[in-house]
Amino acid sequence: MAPARLGLAPPETGRAAGSPRPSRRPDRATILADFGPLGALVLLCILFAFLSPQFATWGNVRNVLDSASVLAVIAVGLTFVLLLGAIDLSIEGVMATAALSVALLVANSRNDLDFGFMGVLAAVAIGAGFGLASGLLSTGLKIPSFMTTLGMSAIGIGIATVLFGGVQPALRSPELAEWASGQWFGLTRLTYVAVAVVLIGLLVQRYTRLGRYARAIGGAEELALLSGIPVRRYKTLAFTFAGATYGLAGVMVTTQLGSGIVQAGVGQNFAAITAAVVGGTLLSGGRGGVLHSIVGVLIVTVLVNGLVLIGVSPYVQGAVQGVIVVAAVVITAWPLRKRLRVVK
Amino acid sequence: MNNTAVRGTRAMTLALAATTAFILAGCASTAGGGEAAPEAGCAPEDIQLIGQVRNETNPYEKAWLDGGDAFAESVDLEQTRLTYDGESPKQQEQLRQALSTGNPECMVLNVLPNGDSDTTPIVKEADAAGAYLVTQWNKPADLNPWDGYDTWISHITFDGVDSGRQIAEAMFEQMGGSGGIIALQGILDTAAAKDRFAGLQEALAENPDIELLDEQTADFDRTTGFEVTKTLITKHGDAIRGVWAANDDMPLGALQALEAAGMTDVAVVGIDAVPEAVQAVADGTMTATVSVDGPWQGGVGLAMGYCALTGELDVAGLSDEQRAFFAEQTLINAENAEENLTPKANVEDFECGNLFDRVTGPVS
Repeated sequence: MAPARLGLAPPETGRAAGSPRPSRRPDRATILADFGPLGALVLLCILFAFLSPQFATWGNVRNVLDSASVLAVIAVGLTFVLLLGAIDLSIEGVMATAALSVALLVANSRNDLDFGFMGVLAAVAIGAGFGLASGLLSTGLKIPSFMTTLGMSAIGIGIATVLFGGVQPALRSPELAEWASGQWFGLTRLTYVAVAVVLIGLLVQRYTRLGRYARAIGGAEELALLSGIPVRRYKTLAFTFAGATYGLAGVMVTTQLGSGIVQAGVGQNFAAITAAVVGGTLLSGGRGGVLHSIVGVLIVTVLVNGLVLIGVSPYVQGAVQGVIVVAAVVITAWPLRKRLRVVK
Repeated sequence: MNNTAVRGTRAMTLALAATTAFILAGCASTAGGGEAAPEAGCAPEDIQLIGQVRNETNPYEKAWLDGGDAFAESVDLEQTRLTYDGESPKQQEQLRQALSTGNPECMVLNVLPNGDSDTTPIVKEADAAGAYLVTQWNKPADLNPWDGYDTWISHITFDGVDSGRQIAEAMFEQMGGSGGIIALQGILDTAAAKDRFAGLQEALAENPDIELLDEQTADFDRTTGFEVTKTLITKHGDAIRGVWAANDDMPLGALQALEAAGMTDVAVVGIDAVPEAVQAVADGTMTATVSVDGPWQGGVGLAMGYCALTGELDVAGLSDEQRAFFAEQTLINAENAEENLTPKANVEDFECGNLFDRVTGPVS
C-alpha cells in the first residue's frame, strides 16, 4: 500500500516477456486481445436484443447483473491467481465451507447462534484462511498450485459436509434476507456488492504492489525473483485475497438461496476459469486483468440468459454455449498464435 | 536392473494393497471380522453389511445410509458407509476392494449405481465373488436378476412417470385447473428426468387448460434452479401460475427466485421429499412433493441380504416381480407434511416377512 514507490515496479514486464523487443505502440494483436471480448459481448447483446423482445428490458438487465454478481466476485479473486501463472481449483470447496459457516453463524434453523454481519465477516475470513493455506503450501513446499488447491477443495467440501450433518441450515435472519431480495436504485443489493468487489479488485491491481507484482511474476517469474521481488510473499497474498472473494461468494449464494448448502459452489470453478479466459486473462499468466475477467463473466452470463430468452431448446443449449465460447476464444487468440510458441 | 525395478513396483503394489486393506479394515472394524469367518455358512455376527451411495452431502442419500444404520443396529451389526462422489470408476474400485478384502460369502451390498451402465460390472463382480447384492434406481433394461444371477436378490426402483404425474395433478388442483406453468427438468440424459417429465406430459394431455409456457433444464441443482427461474420470470412474468420440477432442489431455488420477484401465489411442486421441501410444504410455500423414503431404501436392501444369509429368505423362490420392482411412493401435501418432517426408518419394515410389502408392480 505505498503508491509512492510504484514507479519501481517493472512496467509491462508481462508483455515484454513474450517478445524481446516490444513496440511502444500497441499493435493490432494487443488491441484485439484487450477489446475483442468486449466487442463479442456487445455483439451478443445486440443479437439477443434483436431476437428477443424481453432481452433489452430493464428487468432483464437487472436479472443478468444479479446473476453475474456471484461469478464476478469469484472472478476478481481468481484473476490475481491466474495473473501469477498459477491456477486455483479450490473454489467449490471454499464456497461450500463458507456457505455452511455463514449459515450456521447467523440466525438459522439449526442452532441458537446469531452473530449477524460478524458471521459474514467470519465466513470471508475462513475463505481467506483457505487461500492462505493454499498459498503457503504452494510457495513453501513448492507444490504446484494445481495440486494444493485441488486438495484444498476436497478439504473444504469435507468440512462443509461435516457442518451440514444431514440437515441444511436455513437462514432465519431478516437482515440477510433483505440483502438477497432488497434493491437499491432498481438493482439488487448483491449487484452493488459485486461492483464494490470489482472496484476493490481494480484498485488492488492498479495501485498496490500485489497487483503490479502479480503481473510481473506471471510474465516472468525468474526475472521477478532476480530483480528482488519477494515472489513467495506476493503469491501467498494473491491466493489469500482470492480465498476471501470465494468466501464472500459463498455467503452471497447462501443469502440468495436462503440456506447453506454444500453444493453452493458446484460448477463455479469451471465457469470462473472459462469466464476469465474468454475475457482475455490468459492461463499462462501475466496477461489480462480484473476488467478482462469481468467482461468474460458478462459474456458467459448473457449467453446463458439469452439462450433461454430466445427459446433455444434445453437439449441443445449446452452445445450452443460451447460453440460460442470456443469461437470467442479462437477469435481473440487468433492474432496471438504466432507469439505463443508453446501451448500447454 | 530390470529385476529391481519390477521388485520395486511389486513392493509398491503390495504396500498399496496393504494400505487399502488396512483402511477398509478400519472402516469395518466392528463389522464382525468378516475375514476370519469360516467358508461355509455365515454366523449372523459374521455378516458384513455395506451401503454405498454417491455422497453424504445431500439429505436424501444421508437418510438412506442412516436407514441402513438403523437396520444394522436392529440386528447388532454395523453398516460400512461407502460414498463415491458420483464418480463411476471410484464406485467400481470401492466395491472391488470391499469384495477382495472382506469375505464375500458373508457380505451384503446395498448399492446405488451411478448410472445404468455401471450396474452391469457391479452385478458381474458381486456374482463372481458370491456376495448378496441389491441395486436401486439404475440398471439397463435388458439386465435382470433372474437371468442366472443367484446372489443379485433384487432391483428396486420407482416409477418416475407416476411421480411426475402425481405432483403435476396436485399442482393443477392448486391452480384451479387452468393457467401457465414452467417445468424445470433434471439432467436431460437421465432416466429419472425423462420419466418424470413424461409424467408431466401425460397430465398436461388430460388438462388442456394448463399451458406449458417453457421447459428448461436446471440440472437437478438448486443454484441453477434459482437462476433459470429468475430468467423465466423475466420472460413470462405473471403468466407463471405453477412451477413443476423433477426433484426438490430445483424448486427450492425457484421459491427464492419467486420470492425475490414478489410472486407468492405460485404453486410449486417437486419430487424426493428432502427435509427442506417437506418443511416448505408444511409451511404452505410449496404445494407438494413425492417421497420415495430414503431410510427404507437404505435398510431394506441390507435386510434382504441378511435374511438370505440367515436362511429366512429363499432367493431362488422369489417371483420375477419381486426381483425387479417399482416400490411405493407417497405424495406429500399439506395434510401429511408434518408427520414426514423427519424421515425415519421403521425397523418393522425390515423383518424378513415384510421385505416385499411395498412392491407396486414389475419394472416394465
